[in-house]
Amino acid sequence: MTPEIRKFKKILIANRGEIACRIIWTCKEMGIRTVAVHSDVDRDSLHVRFADEAACIGPAPSAQSYLNIPAIISTAEIFNVDAIHPGYGFLAESSTFAEICAACNIKFIGPPANIIRLMGDKVEARRAMAEAGLPVLPGSPEPVTSEAEGLQLAREIGYPVIVKASAGGGGRGMRIVHSENELGKALETASTEAAAAFKDGSVYIERYVQDPRHIEIQVLADEYGDCIHLGERECSIQRRHQKLLEEAPSPVLSPELRNQMGDAAVAACKQLGYASAGTVEFLLDQDNKFYFMEMNTRIQVEHAVTEMVTLADIVRNQIRIAEGERLGYTQADLMIVGHAIECRINAENPETFAPSPGLITAFNLPGGPGVRVDTYVYAGYRVPPFYDSMIAKVITHARTRDLAIARMKRALEAMVIEGIKTTIPLHLKIMDDPQFKTGNISTSFMEHFLAQNGTKIPKTQSGAGALAG
Amino acid sequence: MSDPGSQKAEAELLPETDIEISSEPVRARRRRRGSIAAESSVNMDELRELIQLINENDFSEFEMEREGFRVRFRRGVEIGETSSAGFSQSRELTASSVPATGEQAVSVLPSHPGAKAQTEASEDQDLYIIPSPIVGTFYRAASPNADAFVKIGSRVEPETVVCIIEAMKLMNEIQAETTGEVAKIYVENGQPVEYGQPLYGIKK
Repeated sequence: MTPEIRKFKKILIANRGEIACRIIWTCKEMGIRTVAVHSDVDRDSLHVRFADEAACIGPAPSAQSYLNIPAIISTAEIFNVDAIHPGYGFLAESSTFAEICAACNIKFIGPPANIIRLMGDKVEARRAMAEAGLPVLPGSPEPVTSEAEGLQLAREIGYPVIVKASAGGGGRGMRIVHSENELGKALETASTEAAAAFKDGSVYIERYVQDPRHIEIQVLADEYGDCIHLGERECSIQRRHQKLLEEAPSPVLSPELRNQMGDAAVAACKQLGYASAGTVEFLLDQDNKFYFMEMNTRIQVEHAVTEMVTLADIVRNQIRIAEGERLGYTQADLMIVGHAIECRINAENPETFAPSPGLITAFNLPGGPGVRVDTYVYAGYRVPPFYDSMIAKVITHARTRDLAIARMKRALEAMVIEGIKTTIPLHLKIMDDPQFKTGNISTSFMEHFLAQNGTKIPKTQSGAGALAG
Repeated sequence: MSDPGSQKAEAELLPETDIEISSEPVRARRRRRGSIAAESSVNMDELRELIQLINENDFSEFEMEREGFRVRFRRGVEIGETSSAGFSQSRELTASSVPATGEQAVSVLPSHPGAKAQTEASEDQDLYIIPSPIVGTFYRAASPNADAFVKIGSRVEPETVVCIIEAMKLMNEIQAETTGEVAKIYVENGQPVEYGQPLYGIKK
């Protein structure tokens, strides 16, 4: 196929927060004009300030603003944009939104709508990926409809098993089951939870892997069938299935295993006809066997660690690919230089994880060699209570993991956010944790860590008074 | 400007040109002009040609005036200067203004379509403000040839339709939701409006 390149002059960013800013930065570098949309409580957000044009599209609740498809399309038409970047969250994985964009002749910066839909249904995604050659955990091929069916399946798979929501994500509608007598109740509660969260109560059963690592492969694919991977991200540090800290590369992947996992992800994406940036998530068990978990058909929060070690601008590549350009790289072009760590800074009590919105009275960004901060807040900004609590990402890059940890520690010490509580003290504590330092971590790390340190995390930053005075 | 289609044409030609059609000088001239003739409309094709000509000749500033219509182009304007001007085509908002009048000014670098209306409305604290409930395109009349739903001085009841906001090709009728008399109209016919932007000021 001959590439048909349609350069974008103007992009609407259907998102808020740090990712909206992140997309604006790349658009500025590419000479593309930007349109920000925002709710009426987000007027003072940085993405509104730095976009070329902006429109208020609704009141604070996301359903009436950032998820309001008619308002977003209407704004796109008024401002006459060529494309819409959905960021992550909100409408990023809405196949309906992608279809509406296409119907309105606006390019959706992401994969084709049918692939978004396929990957959004976890049962279908698992089946499709298994067909495309990826290893999957033994489990139910279809949603489980009765307890009897569940018991039969679980017996075949072997306990422990995990009950998951077909429409799931973010840990909701998930239950670990260790024995037969727990299964009935687990199916019921998971289904209720899934119905409440995703309006779809169907659940399925899969073998549960004890203390796995969460390893994901970043892929880039163009619209002509070319696809490469950008190596892996280690995302095992999670609390209630929410990632807190990510690294690239993983401390345990050998170059051979990296190639093996990367090649498997690339082959599957090629078979699916994937285009754009995407992430294939795997569980890695204690024997270094990997299993497909799910695919995220969008930019991810933690994409920055991959950008640091590969020097790739993933947002730029998403835009180029959406414009119809060829990938222009081969797998041999991939280089991974040094080690990068990202800490998600949330407006939360670092001990109880209760949200802590409010006015930021003092703010200092860390700097110096190898430090990147993606954020949308500033001194005098009021963090609204309506949205995700993540207010910043601190990313450090250095030659080795040890150096990246040391760099993160000093960056977090220099990062001052006053007026609200943040997870900075939690991350500082993790940087000092002997287990974390060895790199021998799994998804159960935080459970153990919090049991040990839960009450020892300072609620405010030491020495943070310096800026307020 | 009463043709909804022309809004699209405008939006198309603006982003490529980095030209501001300033609304500020226009405001200063309002009082002198008296009533605006309904037939003096702007041909968007002409405007497009004009902009191309200006671009090719590398002018930094250009002004043109015709009866009932004046346009001024500027390039390389600071953001701070234009953001207060808003996205809007500015036209005198008095009883004499009719939907089809032609003076217009569209700025290219605004941060917000509603910024100007917001500022104006904040000065009218004695008025009840009808805000736009959605983002879309504002029309004062049901069709290009129809009379405006309301004018300055019109009485409104809660159910009175005051305008149409077009969003995704759907015409949404907006009701006054209050009782009183139209005292101010903050937006132009065919102008993009955002959520919460003041549309009308109603004297109770």
